[in-house]
Amino acid sequence: MSVLVRLESVGPITVVVAEGRLDFGACAAFQSQIEKALAAAGKPPAGVLIDCSWLDYVSSGGLRLFLVSARAARRASLEFALCALKPAVAEVFELSGFSRMIPVHPDRTAALAHMP
Amino acid sequence: MGNSVINAALPGRAVQSVSAPVRALAETLVGRDGPHARAFDNVILALIVISVLSVVLQATADLPGWAIQVLKITEFVVVAVFTFEYVLRIVAAPHKLEFVFSFYGLVDLVSIAPFYLARLDVRYLRILRLLRLLRVLKLQRRILETTVAERTRELAERNLALVQAQSQLKAELDIARALQIAILPSTFPAKPGCDGAARMIPATSMGGDFYDFIELPDGQVGMVMADVSGKGVPAAFFMAVSRTNLRELAIHHPDPGDCLTRTNEVLCSQNPMDLFVTVFYCIFDPATGVLRYSNGGHNPPFVRRAGGALEVLNEARGLVLGAMPGIDYSNHTVQLRHGDRLVLYTDGVTEAFNPAEEAFGMERLVGEISAHGGGSAADLVERICASVANFAGDAPQSDDITLTVLAWYAA
Repeated sequence: MSVLVRLESVGPITVVVAEGRLDFGACAAFQSQIEKALAAAGKPPAGVLIDCSWLDYVSSGGLRLFLVSARAARRASLEFALCALKPAVAEVFELSGFSRMIPVHPDRTAALAHMP
Repeated sequence: MGNSVINAALPGRAVQSVSAPVRALAETLVGRDGPHARAFDNVILALIVISVLSVVLQATADLPGWAIQVLKITEFVVVAVFTFEYVLRIVAAPHKLEFVFSFYGLVDLVSIAPFYLARLDVRYLRILRLLRLLRVLKLQRRILETTVAERTRELAERNLALVQAQSQLKAELDIARALQIAILPSTFPAKPGCDGAARMIPATSMGGDFYDFIELPDGQVGMVMADVSGKGVPAAFFMAVSRTNLRELAIHHPDPGDCLTRTNEVLCSQNPMDLFVTVFYCIFDPATGVLRYSNGGHNPPFVRRAGGALEVLNEARGLVLGAMPGIDYSNHTVQLRHGDRLVLYTDGVTEAFNPAEEAFGMERLVGEISAHGGGSAADLVERICASVANFAGDAPQSDDITLTVLAWYAA
């Protein structure tokens, strides 16, 4: 498995810390962790923040998971945001236009300040 | 002889000098599975039951003399057969000492030992008789062996079914892959001043890259470079749907942004799997060299000027298609001049990894385009592909590698 995921709770926000490379092989494991985070998030208004500080690479299949997660979060009335993207990952989000669809914050503090 | 060395460690001389027939008999009755072994096993099973019953009878009932006599004979027969079995098992065991001290070896010994010990010392006769009840433990071997044999057989059957199913699935996927590649155009439309080439090197698993050349009614040519998120059959289906819709819309709407906007609406309404596709779509006019383009989340292509300068088509950037409806994709225009080249690619090129997990990267791609952009379109495509293949070495190709080059010469 090329991506490690750790869940943390900051008030009503569940922070998903992703580490490694989110390529095709890692997608299934990552998706189940995100689903767990969405289920674990507190009562609305609450949210899920993906901390990408240690995420080195996101493939196009991995990008799809962020789309699926953002949609699932919207259905559940949860805030969904990303923070601390490494340059390579930020570029993928920028190129694909995802950074205009999903809120992206420079770091965790800034992200939490924007979330309920 | 290896055997004599092992035999030297055996308890009892009788076993050491076991002759070939006895060894064969041991193999047949307790060694390997077969009709004789199973019959012998059933005899042992019956004797276990009889002997346990007789122990219970002796302990509980007030028996007449003839019955006691029968039980004594029974006990004698049981012990004789069990002793015979015990010796056979030692003979058949590959590591004899190990067997003697194994759980079942000890159980077998305890099953017969009380009978012999009772001959030596009658003081503990009752306890020794009760010890015979431990023969029940012999049943466990049979239960275990039967269970293991059954499980093994079931597993073998399931494995075979799985192997067959997998090979069929692989054959079908190979056909689907071949079909997917077959629908890509193999040549660039014949247009004055245009030299176009394309190549798609499919990944080991089914990917979703595609390119397209679309001849438009007014003599212009539509060029597509696209990459569906994910892999496998869903990606392949989404690729087919994307390509068909884009091609259909392109013929009726000679405006790149408009085409992407409309394609996005269709894809968003036919997207149960939340897939998406990155699309660079441009319309080239071979008469004027004008290139109009729009970009739905795809890697920005390069224009290599005839003089060698490299430009990135960085404008008109929008969201990937299929992710969100109601998005307007904008247009941008670039003027190609005599001898310029347009290079479209997917991230399979820049994200081809070598065994050390390093990516081919943008610098190497730029280097190839700068160094070899002066030749024919086909030559540049081949040089980039060769460079990527050389870089990746033995590392498995995880993503499709797709490239299109258009060289244009003004009339």
